[in-house]
Amino acid sequence: MLHIDDVHKQYGGLLALSGASLEVGAGKLIGLIGPNGSGKSTLINVISGVTPLTSGRVTFDGHDITNHTADAVFRHGLIRSYQDPSVFFEMNVLDNATLPIRAQIGENPLLAPLRRLWRRQEETNAHASLDVLKSLQLARHCANLASDLSGGQMKLLELARTLQGAPKMMLLDEPTAGVAPPLAYQIFEAIRRLRDEHGITFLIIEHRLDMLFDFVDELYVMHMGAIIAHGSADDIAANPTVRDVYLGY
Amino acid sequence: MSIDLLATGIALLTFFGISALMALSLNLEYGVAGIPNFGKALFVSIGAYTAGVTYTRLLPLLAGQEVIDPCGRTLADALQLRSDIMFTDPTAGWLNFAITLLIAGLIGGAVGYGLSYITLRLKEEWFLALVLLVSGEIIRIVVRGYDPIICAHNGLSGIAQPFVAVGDTQTASILFAALTVGFALIAFVYAERLIRSPYGRLLRAIRENEHVSQSLGKQVARIRAQVMFIGSFMAAVAGVLFALNIGFVNTNDYVVTLTLDVWVMVVLGGAGNMRGALLGAAVITILDRVTAIVAIQLNMAGSQWEFNYFRFILFGLLLLLMLRFRPQGILPERRDTTSVPLVFAEETADRGAGAEQPSGD
Ligand SMILES: Nc1ncnc2c1ncn2[C@@H]1O[C@H](COP(=O)(O)OP(=O)(O)OP(=O)(O)O)[C@@H](O)[C@H]1O
Ligand SMILES: [Mg+2]
Repeated sequence: MLHIDDVHKQYGGLLALSGASLEVGAGKLIGLIGPNGSGKSTLINVISGVTPLTSGRVTFDGHDITNHTADAVFRHGLIRSYQDPSVFFEMNVLDNATLPIRAQIGENPLLAPLRRLWRRQEETNAHASLDVLKSLQLARHCANLASDLSGGQMKLLELARTLQGAPKMMLLDEPTAGVAPPLAYQIFEAIRRLRDEHGITFLIIEHRLDMLFDFVDELYVMHMGAIIAHGSADDIAANPTVRDVYLGY
Repeated sequence: MSIDLLATGIALLTFFGISALMALSLNLEYGVAGIPNFGKALFVSIGAYTAGVTYTRLLPLLAGQEVIDPCGRTLADALQLRSDIMFTDPTAGWLNFAITLLIAGLIGGAVGYGLSYITLRLKEEWFLALVLLVSGEIIRIVVRGYDPIICAHNGLSGIAQPFVAVGDTQTASILFAALTVGFALIAFVYAERLIRSPYGRLLRAIRENEHVSQSLGKQVARIRAQVMFIGSFMAAVAGVLFALNIGFVNTNDYVVTLTLDVWVMVVLGGAGNMRGALLGAAVITILDRVTAIVAIQLNMAGSQWEFNYFRFILFGLLLLLMLRFRPQGILPERRDTTSVPLVFAEETADRGAGAEQPSGD
């Protein structure tokens, strides 16, 4: 589903990605791990069109999306979340979740002033968002500003928001950072459910390895801008190089 | 010292309608979408110049007359011709008025769309502010020096408003005041509904974080260009009304101070709040007229103070004080939401269920 081929990204003199290649099959749940600064977030930025890459090729779902704009990547069904809280702080929680929904009639400036044209659709959308928020225990905050949420709740809201964009594949940058363990576990269960029931493909960056290892089909390990290992959780845990550069045991 | 209260009131109302259109357009662009349009005078001037062109070229045609060169030796004849038509052939006058508004709006909108698309795709939004500020001045200088549009620096007079045909001057100006306020009202209702729709949510999202918005599938450059189209359309309509109200078109009226006046209206009234834009327009219109009247009175009383300049100091001071002590404006932006009321019953029901949840876990 997602192919990344020999991707390089240079920031001035710093080579953040130095020939990274990986492949994610449809319906797979893949983890991407590696030390701080190894280039994981940069890889997601490059795939999602947030930063232009220096060289290499990215294809998704049969389309070459190399250096496509971020909105074009979204339209292909590849949706990302951010490592840092990136909810719309000045907007309430429900609107945050509803914003990415596709084909909104009310987002046309000529039709938007005529409420009756979009009211029904907006109601459906708002209820769909509320359902997702409920499943992430955010429903009771739906009328609050997103800035009033805790850090962990913001991560949850971002997950909800990503879902509302109807993704074929999600790129999640540390979806459980700052989330308490029981809820983090629930997030992973939700992710697995989404994969199993809706066939959504996942590439997940995480430092919370205990949980990640339980849920993923395969893992890629990054180090200094390149993939240094790939395999099942057991393979990776036993890999001496990975132990050396990242796991530290 | 006698001030004709009715005439002053009518003039105030007309200026208010025109200012309100400008303030609403900037409020949509800057207050809601976060686009710092420092070229308001440019888009207003597009409307005024369009009126100059249609009154001298289109109006005679609509009245079945021959077009006369409005600038050269036939200047007086051309002026006579367009005045006559406005007084004797109201159908041609109104048709010309309607077409002027439409063309002005479309040209203004297209220029706004184009300029924002070019600049916003490349750089920070403040780059657009600079481009617009400079473009306005460049266009003004070009029009000043280029005869065929509005006879260069001479400008054009006899740009009559369409109600002059009713005969009585006062009735005509009352009707025109009502018309401008009517246009402002339409713009207000449109803008107000727009910001309370999913489109308003979209604009606020882009204002807050354009990169994340784009990652969520929003075509940021295109949407900003749309807003610039809408805002510039309104500004150009205001420009037509402005020219018709004073009866002539002259490049001197569309300088940077006009842009700054509109900014003061928006910041004073409350960026992002459409009622605030109306309030800001009202306050600035009144202050503007009052200081102008005081200036005239002082002059007549023999004062050597040029009170007109106090207006600029006053507005500048007002802007600084607002930014320092009440940056959100007199009427702050309302935290509007389109979706919450639609699920509100359920949300409160969930609140009840939520309270029991901890014991259940
Ligand atoms: N915009 C940027 N400009 C310059 N250098 C950057 C930029 N973004 C990232 N880098 C550099 O690229 C390298 C990889 O950063 P990246 O954020 O991808 O790491 P990461 O693997 O996500 O780390 P972490 O686990 O801490 O999130 C780092 O050395 C970082 O300093
Ligand atoms: Mg990172």
